[in-house]
Amino acid sequence: MSAIIASVIPLTDTRKKSLRREMETLLGPGSVLSDPEELLVYESDGLTLFRALADFVVFPRSAEQVAALVKLADREGIPFVARGAGTGLSGGCLPSQGGLVISLMRMNRVLEVDYENQIAVVEPGLVNLHLSWAVGPQGFYYAPDPSSQQACTIGGNIANNSGGPHTLKYGVTTNHVLGLEVVLPDGELMWLGGKTRDPQGYDLVGLFVGSEGTFGIATKIVVRILKKPQAVKTVLAVFDRVDQASEAVSAIIARGLVPAAMEMIDQLTIEAVEDAFGCGYPRDAAAALLIELDGLQAGMEAQAERVVAACRDCGARDVRAARDEAERQLLWKGRKSAFGAYGRVSPAYMVMDGVIPRTKLPYVLGRVNEIVAAHGLRVGNVFHAGDGNLHPNILYDPRKPGEEARVVAAGAQILKVCAEVGGSISGEHGIGLEKADYMPFIFSEADLACMHRVKEAFNPAGLCNPGKIFPSNKACVEVGPAYRPHPIEEKGLAQRF
Amino acid sequence: MPSALTDKLRGLVGAPHVLTGVDCSPYLVEGRAPEAVVFPGTKEEVAAALLMAGEAGLPVTPWGGGTKMAVGSPPNRIGLVLGLRRLNRILEHEPGDLTVTVEAGVPFDTLQAELGQRGQWLSLDPATAGGATVGGVLATNASGPRRHLYGTARDLVIGLTVVAADGSVVRGGGKVVKNVAGYDLPKLYIGSFGTLGVMVEATFKLRPKVDVDRLVVARFDRLKDAGAAARAILASDVIPSALELADGEALRRLGHGGGAGLLVGLDGIAEQVDWEVAELSRLLGPLGLGETTVLDGAGRDDAWRALARLGRPGHDDVAAVMKWAVRPTQVAELMETGTTVALRNGLGAALTAHAGVGIVTAMLTGGADANAAVATLSEWRGLANQAGGQAMVEWAPLAVKERVAVWDAAGPTLRLMKGIKERLDPRGILNPGRFVGEI
Repeated sequence: MSAIIASVIPLTDTRKKSLRREMETLLGPGSVLSDPEELLVYESDGLTLFRALADFVVFPRSAEQVAALVKLADREGIPFVARGAGTGLSGGCLPSQGGLVISLMRMNRVLEVDYENQIAVVEPGLVNLHLSWAVGPQGFYYAPDPSSQQACTIGGNIANNSGGPHTLKYGVTTNHVLGLEVVLPDGELMWLGGKTRDPQGYDLVGLFVGSEGTFGIATKIVVRILKKPQAVKTVLAVFDRVDQASEAVSAIIARGLVPAAMEMIDQLTIEAVEDAFGCGYPRDAAAALLIELDGLQAGMEAQAERVVAACRDCGARDVRAARDEAERQLLWKGRKSAFGAYGRVSPAYMVMDGVIPRTKLPYVLGRVNEIVAAHGLRVGNVFHAGDGNLHPNILYDPRKPGEEARVVAAGAQILKVCAEVGGSISGEHGIGLEKADYMPFIFSEADLACMHRVKEAFNPAGLCNPGKIFPSNKACVEVGPAYRPHPIEEKGLAQRF
Repeated sequence: MPSALTDKLRGLVGAPHVLTGVDCSPYLVEGRAPEAVVFPGTKEEVAAALLMAGEAGLPVTPWGGGTKMAVGSPPNRIGLVLGLRRLNRILEHEPGDLTVTVEAGVPFDTLQAELGQRGQWLSLDPATAGGATVGGVLATNASGPRRHLYGTARDLVIGLTVVAADGSVVRGGGKVVKNVAGYDLPKLYIGSFGTLGVMVEATFKLRPKVDVDRLVVARFDRLKDAGAAARAILASDVIPSALELADGEALRRLGHGGGAGLLVGLDGIAEQVDWEVAELSRLLGPLGLGETTVLDGAGRDDAWRALARLGRPGHDDVAAVMKWAVRPTQVAELMETGTTVALRNGLGAALTAHAGVGIVTAMLTGGADANAAVATLSEWRGLANQAGGQAMVEWAPLAVKERVAVWDAAGPTLRLMKGIKERLDPRGILNPGRFVGEI
């Protein structure tokens, strides 16, 4: 089932040589890769199921260089795609039709911080967490916190409209972006929005965020930075039944609270986490809820009491608040390292991403277990329960013939269930290559046609990140060999978080 | 308008739901009467009506409560007004999901009241007097003081159903609070002033009602001090839900005396709000804080309503209303300069601002001197533009709008906007000529 996607318009050697020379002239030495060995590093993102080789990987250092590269690609009719840290989980940054991968990792500066107006201007290759580090000493942070925030870039977050555990209260990337300097697919450099609110005309910033790199390449980004909350309180509630934990999520909201985060962890995941890290979660619990409140010190205890009461009313067997920062960090470590911990119980896993109305949690979690069991597989759930964003992680062994195909089939069925209960096929990972063919689960032909017309307004030649989001005929997809580790995994440089 | 089309519309929606001739007079746009008004009862009827108008090449103006029809460049021709008041159902409210799906013609206040009865609210507080509808609020991207903490419609709408110019029913987003599948079409339609499609349904994310909601009115002798106070609050641990700056004239019209003022919304649980009220006194005392009033209940609601009414066209002696979008730190100084400009032109001004997000509502008052109004609005636009911001004429008499552009000159992004418009409304029948860049 692993798919290698062939380059649609193979470039001749002569043409490659002359293109390489031209790009080196634009960017200077050491900025163009074309050796197949070197290109291999860029053949996939965090979802290693899909792989595609670029003809070139290039490393511009400025918006002007990006614009020059895009102009060149446009002139030559070569597909191109922007790439950040490559931590995406839907194959969104793969050069699925060959051509140019434009890596933005050398454009990683914080250009300006205006604390009084609570905005920062950054380059797209800046690592998400590094922005919070940069503004932290002044008491600020950048709110969207995807689980990969130690590696993923703000530019990649823009493409995917990334979320994270704290989006329940603070929203996702799009709620934090005021302006974008972009290179359009024909190479024109322009600003959408800026440093002020409500730019006149259509909301081009809102459209661009989450367009998965198909509208152009962001080269400067104006984001809101928030003041760090005065106080944070983290509560762990343990349940003997999953439906009790689900009810607790609604009960907390019904008591007038909007926690910063509400994360659920199921039994299989708890056991894996305890095996790996010993974070203090009870192994025999059916589910644990990690609830975080933040805001003013005043009233924090009163809110925590409401949370505890809501959990107890729903049958929680044990509820406790972290006594200090060390204990809080330990509880969060259990949540954030869950993905890594699956390695203890399975050679591989595939993370799914679907969204449902939160009142449908008990039903859908039951269906997920049935579907996965019917395929002879196991699943661990660790997810953003507060906003109904599920992450079933299907465990499998890629060396066993046919198992990967069963994982993919089960995943599609799970997303269909999400769609049936009025949900979505992606809460934060994006559509990319992975889910393009699932778009009809939730969108009609008319919906997709409208989206396509909007795409044409930005990307009429279709060279900017082709083959993504929209259902395809799969003509260019080849079935390749089974799973193999990503080269940076082999080198021990990264794990699949 | 050809009578054949009128007949077709009557056949579609029923004769009582089509108005022609003098019956159209309540539906004037900038003084021009439409050729017909149609009130479809379903989104399918909206689609059929749009198709009929498209085939006849007749421009279509979507109409909710009609409270913002004076926003935008003067139209060349008003063809068919498409009234949405019959699409007035709350389709689905699931409190446990904190979401609600409504039809576009639901009056905004009705929605808010229904939600309130079930312990929830939509955290958007646009001026709604006169019967503003959900669709109208979204089409104009209207917002109010609480955007400071809770954002605008673009942060709160999670799904939108629109009838496109070709009669197709298009849905963007969905019914769940987190969703990145496909392009974010709701963002595109919100604030597009009816130029891309006719919104028929919207899904919002909601919040649980707050325990305590207070309004602190803090008075200062000088606008400069009130501006400094706003900045001090922004830099503090206080988390206001609203932060409104009012100059002396605005404050006087609000009934709080002169000088300058800050209206600070504080909500949450009692312990939080009590602490914040105390913290405000501590912070603002050294900045020349005068009298402070803490309002709750009806007093609070009245004060917020008065603020919303302040910039309403035709209210008191308002000669024009302009909105500036600048950086928060520029607000107070620009407000002062703005007043000086108006006075120099022989007019008055009353200015308020969402101080934390940098949106200024500048009201030009006194006299019907179009020349003075034109001069002042042009200078005001210059001020906002020089500050790196934008200015739009939210309301002005037609005689003034014919001489001052409603929107700023469109920049390089216009080609993208036109590209979108041409692809979604190729016949150009949806509210033509009223939007940015004559879209």
